[in-house]
Amino acid sequence: MPPTTPHFRDGLLASLPIVIGYVPISFSFGVAATRAGFSVFDAFALSLIIYAGASQFLALALLASGAPVLVAAFTLIAMNLRHLLYGPALMREAGSDATRRHAWAWAWGLTDEVFGQALGSLARGQRFSEAYMFGLGIGAYAAWVSGTVAGALVGGGALDAWPALSAGLGFLLPALFLALLLSISSRRQLPVIVVAGVATVVGTLAVSATTGILLGMLAGAVRGLLRR
Amino acid sequence: MNWDLFIVAIMAGAANWAFRALPILARTDQIATGGWLERFLSATGPAAVATLFTASILPALSPDLLRLLPVITGTLAVLATYFARRSVVLATLAGALVHGVTVWLVA
Repeated sequence: MPPTTPHFRDGLLASLPIVIGYVPISFSFGVAATRAGFSVFDAFALSLIIYAGASQFLALALLASGAPVLVAAFTLIAMNLRHLLYGPALMREAGSDATRRHAWAWAWGLTDEVFGQALGSLARGQRFSEAYMFGLGIGAYAAWVSGTVAGALVGGGALDAWPALSAGLGFLLPALFLALLLSISSRRQLPVIVVAGVATVVGTLAVSATTGILLGMLAGAVRGLLRR
Repeated sequence: MNWDLFIVAIMAGAANWAFRALPILARTDQIATGGWLERFLSATGPAAVATLFTASILPALSPDLLRLLPVITGTLAVLATYFARRSVVLATLAGALVHGVTVWLVA
């Protein structure tokens, strides 16, 4: 029996592990923003407008340290260059007949985790649908923005009394990425995965975490070129 | 409203939208089907997820066994649950739960 087309609510349900992972991180971002002297509205606006976790934390650090606006902006833009690769990789897996009429809207939600979850579902045989992408993206986006506001309102130290809970929540994203990696792995892709992992470690240790991420993705994709 | 922050947010947000949406709208995935670009793009997904996993786990690695133990048990929990149930959701939650419980036990 051919797979059925997933609906909006299927996407929302699939966003659950991302939501659980996003809430503590965005909560931490809200706390960090208010600690850095920004208002609740500033924190809310950053999450609403940028919607990219690591670069939001970097924005706080840059602006709080007095970096020029253009330097800060172009640093953040360079940090998110990796997102250029997500859409084509996803649509290639979705197939040439996959509709993309509303991609201008749902692609906004194509974060690292949403991309990974969408790619994983396609690799497991699910059909592509824009409604599913909207559900997946909106669940994650709502969690990110509302978590930020909650963190900014509550302020620092909310999880300090619960170190085990805080640690468990902090492990959600590595756990999610590992589970997604297992779901899309195949013997054919193993060299790509190994090269990407090694290049990430080398780039991170030699230069910075951002360099490591860019280098890992590019090195893995270039390794894919060598495949026959 | 901090206007410096707002300008940075608008510039970075506009670039994020362009990076995420324009390659899809430009149908870059359908260029050179069967050629080098197809091989490059088909490897991009696994490479990206492998990179994100590595980048997210790296800061948690430590030579101190007590700090490393929760990472090991959490990772093993993800692997065991995924191979037992083939569920990304269950594997993720199991990994986080076992990691948190291990932190609590060694504290």
